[in-house]
Amino acid sequence: MSAAWLRELVLGVRLSVSGGRSGWLRLALIAAGVGLGVGMLLVLAAAPTAVAAREQRRADRALGASVEQAGPGTLLALTTETRFRDEPVRGRIVRPEGDRAPAPPGVARMPAVGELYVSPALAALIAGPGGEVLAQRWSAHVAGTIAPQGLSGPDEVYFYVGSGTLTTDDGAARIASFGGGSPPTTDPTIVVLAVIGAAVLLLPVLVFVTTAVRFGSESRERQLAAIRLVGADSRMTRRIATGDALIGAVLGLAVGGLVFLGLRRGVGVLLPADFSPYPSDLRPVPALLAAILLLVPAGAVLVTLSALRRVVIEPLGVVRQSGVRRRRLWWRLIPPGAGVALLYPLLGGLPGDVGAGTRVQLAAGAILLLTGVVVLLPWLVQAVVRRLGGGSVAWQLGIRRLQLDSDTAVRFVSGIAVSVAGIIAIQGLLSTSIAATSGNQPPADRLQAVVYTNGADGTGWQAALAGTPGVEAVRTSGYGYLRTDPDQPGVTVRVGDCDVLRQYAPLPSCADGDSFQAVHPGWESPTLPAGATTPVFGTDDAAPLSHWQVPAGLPAVTLYTSEAAPMSYLATPAALKLRPDLRGIFTDAYLLGLDPSRPDAIEQVRNTMTRLAPAAPLQLFGDERIGNQFAGARQVAQGCAVLFLLFIGASMLVGVTEQLRERRRLLAVLAAFGTQRRTLSASLLYQVAIPASVGLLLAVLIGSSLSAVLLAATEAPVELDWAAIAAMTATVATMVVAVTAAGLPLLFRLLKVQELRSE
Amino acid sequence: MPSSPLLVADGVSKSFGITRALNGASLQVRPGEVLALTGPSGSGKSTLLHCLSGILAPDSGRVSFEGRDLTAMSDRERSALRRGAFGFVFQFGQLVPELTCLENVALPLRLAGVRRSRAERRAAELLVRLEVVEVAGKRPGQASGGQGQRVAVARALVTDPQVIFADEPTGALDSRNGEQVMRLLVAAAKERGSAVVLVTHEARIASYADREVSFRDGAAVVAEGVR
Repeated sequence: MSAAWLRELVLGVRLSVSGGRSGWLRLALIAAGVGLGVGMLLVLAAAPTAVAAREQRRADRALGASVEQAGPGTLLALTTETRFRDEPVRGRIVRPEGDRAPAPPGVARMPAVGELYVSPALAALIAGPGGEVLAQRWSAHVAGTIAPQGLSGPDEVYFYVGSGTLTTDDGAARIASFGGGSPPTTDPTIVVLAVIGAAVLLLPVLVFVTTAVRFGSESRERQLAAIRLVGADSRMTRRIATGDALIGAVLGLAVGGLVFLGLRRGVGVLLPADFSPYPSDLRPVPALLAAILLLVPAGAVLVTLSALRRVVIEPLGVVRQSGVRRRRLWWRLIPPGAGVALLYPLLGGLPGDVGAGTRVQLAAGAILLLTGVVVLLPWLVQAVVRRLGGGSVAWQLGIRRLQLDSDTAVRFVSGIAVSVAGIIAIQGLLSTSIAATSGNQPPADRLQAVVYTNGADGTGWQAALAGTPGVEAVRTSGYGYLRTDPDQPGVTVRVGDCDVLRQYAPLPSCADGDSFQAVHPGWESPTLPAGATTPVFGTDDAAPLSHWQVPAGLPAVTLYTSEAAPMSYLATPAALKLRPDLRGIFTDAYLLGLDPSRPDAIEQVRNTMTRLAPAAPLQLFGDERIGNQFAGARQVAQGCAVLFLLFIGASMLVGVTEQLRERRRLLAVLAAFGTQRRTLSASLLYQVAIPASVGLLLAVLIGSSLSAVLLAATEAPVELDWAAIAAMTATVATMVVAVTAAGLPLLFRLLKVQELRSE
Repeated sequence: MPSSPLLVADGVSKSFGITRALNGASLQVRPGEVLALTGPSGSGKSTLLHCLSGILAPDSGRVSFEGRDLTAMSDRERSALRRGAFGFVFQFGQLVPELTCLENVALPLRLAGVRRSRAERRAAELLVRLEVVEVAGKRPGQASGGQGQRVAVARALVTDPQVIFADEPTGALDSRNGEQVMRLLVAAAKERGSAVVLVTHEARIASYADREVSFRDGAAVVAEGVR
């Protein structure tokens, strides 16, 4: 690089920083915009490290290999899960079998009998309102806090409690060490979500950064024209512009560093407790950090020079060349076409374990398809506005502005469109996954909860549950077998009173003595011919409890999808001629009626069950909460959607503000000859709303296509999530109106005569 | 007998912050006359033009049009007056770059609620009259400076205004184009009986006026050259 080059670069920098108030404002806007984008990029670059650190700690605390013999170095450990209100509370009951038993990671010493070690989040729950009920759950006192190395993240609710009675019969594992197990395989759908999520986050940030480096580009071009006037040639002008772009990008990197430090602390708020990272976990991957540090300034220079190619900077002013240039479609079809080509082979379904190659294929396909939004949008907006005409003065002013120059509007809308497309794709996948895992739920009007024995001996449970404060009713649910041939597997019949059976399937009507044929979606229920008489077996394989003649014309009822165990029949005890207390058959669940005036009744039940059988599952009926990883993913998607739309709304507002400032004189002239504010306001709205609508349309099209591809890849039914699409449309419409409304005060201020002074 | 004044400024003062732009300026504009406001930069002539046209409200003094006090009118009423009774020509940036020249000329009529086809027909007539019909379908950026200024004059005339306010209308043009614009502006205004209030610092342009008022330090100090 020659000294002249360097001098010109430095001149660009000096012009940037010595531009007076408006120059500083422009530089501040660029630094803030690029900084926001860089901050987000750094968070994304740190995500792999954070996930790896989290997984490492989870692996380190996983139970080691089981050992047969008890010894001085062995430990019995039972992993359990309970809930406190909406919060899942996970932990382990531990009982050392010798003085050399391994202490769990993050715990200073082995919990003694009756000692509870809790995570900070659990300590806060116990110390919070109503936490005393939770404190009673383990009949233990808090003896210490689990250190970060024993937790997946700062918000994880986790505990270790020492027991003196735990045995392998309770389901406990005998181990000699923690950690060393193979990492758990992740659901392919979650992998798809993570890959697409990263792509969806990345693209709008890149679009935003490229937009931000062009804030105030028109005033910069005027400045360059002035420099041309004093003798700079076009090459020198480009180098001066490069210096100007570089200083903005470098300041943006510095601001981005600060934004990242802030986001490191705040990102946990957006994420569900299980996903929130320790700030120290968020360390950008060195290669990605280097890429950001190099590519952002390089990108800023490239974008600036590319924009300059489309204008001619002449000594007496800037001449734009790009006004009516017709955009070509053919090359814009290449990225989405390539994306479809990459994703097409995955339509038949992903392999069980999604390998690195498939991940790359998936990510590249999704990114290319989403890139289609960015490259197709300028063409589409131009094609649409070219065909528009007529209408009111406001419409004409708005449309003609877009016909002459849609570049600026499209630049800002691209970010929205990419985000919306990605969010629609993710929401579609999530909704289907959640529907598949939740389905229609049993009602909660008569009975509110169920405790499963999971094969454990439930003797005494009924009495203990009935004696729990807040429990009004305990109903028993069991099952038996209908088997005519002792060598053949039996046909299963669920037995319970009508209130119990209603929790398994919606019944048309029910009275004691009724029975129903059960239909389990996706499972071909074996049935017996009507009129056949069959023995009913319970716990005693040899002695039938009764005989049942299968009635003709049994009403068929469809089991709730949450009901995991397929049954062929549902029957009241009287129908099978069994005792009302179901003695003799397999009892696998107790259904509970809770006192609605005692909101903590369910917590009392959990306390009882923790004492009786800590590993026994407990489920609430009518609980809309999705108790699996998709709920967390949905929360992340919604949080990101809100954050991104705010982010883009802010950038659109900056764009509108910039455009208004550039047109201040024209606006004042229009006001001078009597143009009403509402005409100009409506014109501004059209200039924002039309590209946004076209962008939204394209986003819905590409987002839905991507969603369909992803659903097919995960072998889920291909259905569009219209609710999510409607929600996104409404959000974008609100944002367009809000951005326009926020631009109006400036518009009205610019309709002032000072702009008309020509002396 | 001289006709009664159309526009009257009486002791008009206006300040911008600590800068006093107008200091008790008074003058009258009669129907159909061409009045030039001249003076050095910063003398307040443009500010007076803005006060006369109801764009700016004076701090003190009174501006009346056909006996109606502009200073007592609401912003909406003044806007309506500017749409119907006044026309404007400025030095720079006055044509909407996205609209064609024909649409620019038709714009004031459309703002007044005239149907598009009728407005554009009328605009075309004026473009013919101003000798720039060849740029009717072009955008302002595709026309020369002189052509653009004649389009602006056509736009100022399209509503048959009673007063045309022209603020340095030839300031960005060479002398030949400037002369042509002034000749056409004055002739077309005379044909329609429109008064013209012209702000200029060029004696050559001021010579097109029937009367000239010089400004200094925010006040009309000399009334001369009644032609």
